[in-house]
Amino acid sequence: MTTIGIDLGAKNTKVVILRDGEILTTASVLSGFDQKASADEAVNNALRNVGIARDEIKYITATGAGMDAITFANDTVTEISANARGITAVFPSVRTVIDVGAEEGRVIRLNENGKVVDFGINEKCAAGAGAFTEAMARALEVDLEKMGEMSLKSTKAVPMNAQCTIFAESEVVSLIHQKTPKEDIIRAVHDAIADRITSMARRVGIEKEVALVGGVANNIGFVDSMTRNLGYDLLVPKDPVVPEFIPAYGAALLAQDELNGG
Amino acid sequence: MVTVQMEEKGIFDQFKDWYTNRHEYAKAWKEKGGKVMGYFCTYVPEEILYAANILPVRILGSHEPQDVTEPHIFAMFCPFCRDCLAQGLKGRYDYLDGIMIAQSCLHIRQTYTSWDLHIPTDYSYYLPHPMHVQSPQATPYLREELIQFKKSVEDWIDKPITNYDLKRGIEIMNANRRLMNQVYELRKKRNPPVTGLEAMYMVVSSQMTDKHEHNRELESLLQKLSTRDIGDPGERLMIIGSEDDDTEFLAMVEDLGATFVTDDHCTGTRYFQEEVNPSEDLLNAIAERYVKRVPCPSKDWPKRTRLDHIIRMSKEYDVQGAILIQQKFCDPHELDTPAIKEELEKNGIATLFLEFDVTVPIGQFKTRVEAFLEIMREEDLF
Repeated sequence: MTTIGIDLGAKNTKVVILRDGEILTTASVLSGFDQKASADEAVNNALRNVGIARDEIKYITATGAGMDAITFANDTVTEISANARGITAVFPSVRTVIDVGAEEGRVIRLNENGKVVDFGINEKCAAGAGAFTEAMARALEVDLEKMGEMSLKSTKAVPMNAQCTIFAESEVVSLIHQKTPKEDIIRAVHDAIADRITSMARRVGIEKEVALVGGVANNIGFVDSMTRNLGYDLLVPKDPVVPEFIPAYGAALLAQDELNGG
Repeated sequence: MVTVQMEEKGIFDQFKDWYTNRHEYAKAWKEKGGKVMGYFCTYVPEEILYAANILPVRILGSHEPQDVTEPHIFAMFCPFCRDCLAQGLKGRYDYLDGIMIAQSCLHIRQTYTSWDLHIPTDYSYYLPHPMHVQSPQATPYLREELIQFKKSVEDWIDKPITNYDLKRGIEIMNANRRLMNQVYELRKKRNPPVTGLEAMYMVVSSQMTDKHEHNRELESLLQKLSTRDIGDPGERLMIIGSEDDDTEFLAMVEDLGATFVTDDHCTGTRYFQEEVNPSEDLLNAIAERYVKRVPCPSKDWPKRTRLDHIIRMSKEYDVQGAILIQQKFCDPHELDTPAIKEELEKNGIATLFLEFDVTVPIGQFKTRVEAFLEIMREEDLF
């Protein structure tokens, strides 16, 4: 039994192909203006990876901000439920999922059965999400991938009172003018996102274990800031999937559940 | 079947039409030779205005972004009060003969004050209204204020308002309340014959049309509703919060398969639930009604009387989930939210908290509401 989970996110479209509970492959493409075309492309790439024909797929479940555009999906489910299903499969002990994507940060609280008890999503401002790190990387002329590593070399915490991406950028510019080392500014950026996400998590209620997922969880500098905020280690998935694939994985699992009679 | 549905849907069209074309309606009404009073807040005693044959029209926003209020209202005052003022500054209410407010919160009072300062009308009145409505002195206080207000209206229209007029004013208001309560009563049914969106059109339109006409429409509606069946409501929701005429939001939620079966809104039950009990002293009777009505949270202090009220309503309407929604920066509502949330959840009712702005971010809200419904549906399985 082969199913597909598609997570059409604000920045990337992620696909997971699942056969009898095992991940066969994953694929990711940029979410373009034509969202359905992006989903198609990601699905075709994934199928090509493993040499499976499209008609072998029994069920497709879509999630993510653009899920409604995927008209060929059999079902849709919110990122909240997809995350819950995905993380429970990887870390059954997790009670709080923190998902930081490109445009949204989400906090999801689960019960011992992996069911969603409560959740929070950041408001309109993207200061608590990945797009913010990207903008700051541009301002600092640093490769996005290097941000994490560099911030770990910081020796000093610099307070940054970032309410929104635009204001934060002008704060970063002031810090540059003050000759603040790049490493410290990058750490300040990560601390600022971590503070916003932690505030939201406290509102929803944090219960151990805590998992960090979404693309920004690949940033070790951000993980470090979150760990400092919470005072204990967070679980970041590596196997069978990396953090940004958790919702797509969850969607593929939900597709499989559906075929197994819910 | 489909045509019947379409035809049945039409029974709320008149309310929607009044709401959508509120300015055209008021202008046409005025042509017939009456005065129109724009008012802020549902603490304004419309009985006295109806007694004076004045048409009360509640001033609401338009949900469009605007750039005209910045010099007059703080950016962190609620979006609703700014949206209302924008309507005035843009001249959309240029037909008003007067404006008035009864004190509730500072934000909307700033709208009134600014309007009074910058948009000339023939008449304006600030009605002090007791904040401490739980005090035994609140009714006598308001009665004294109503005496002054009545006198001021009499001077304006140059005609005395008699006891007979007041009785007329009370009767028309009470009839409107009674009829809307009857419609709400039907929403308690297993399959309510009314959607939340339709109920909102009904109540909000009553705040801006001549209640004689509105009452006739309600009477005819009630006859049609007795046999109307719009099927399984899905999740039975209650909507609780500040001023809300965000019809687009209600439509989105109900499109997802749930139904609002009741509300605690000043564009809903808080507006019409209680009638005036006419007694010898009519102004005292009116004062008593506005002091004892289900309060706006700006007046619900020191005891939070709304808690018991909301729980009672949620049981009567068999509510499964509640959406707590408020205007951004609305401190009175925000202060009550944790207590209301806790009380509802203690009673097994799922809650979702959202904040309104001038425009409704439908996409972002949809994800939250869908996840909320998913949680409720999951629970159903076990």
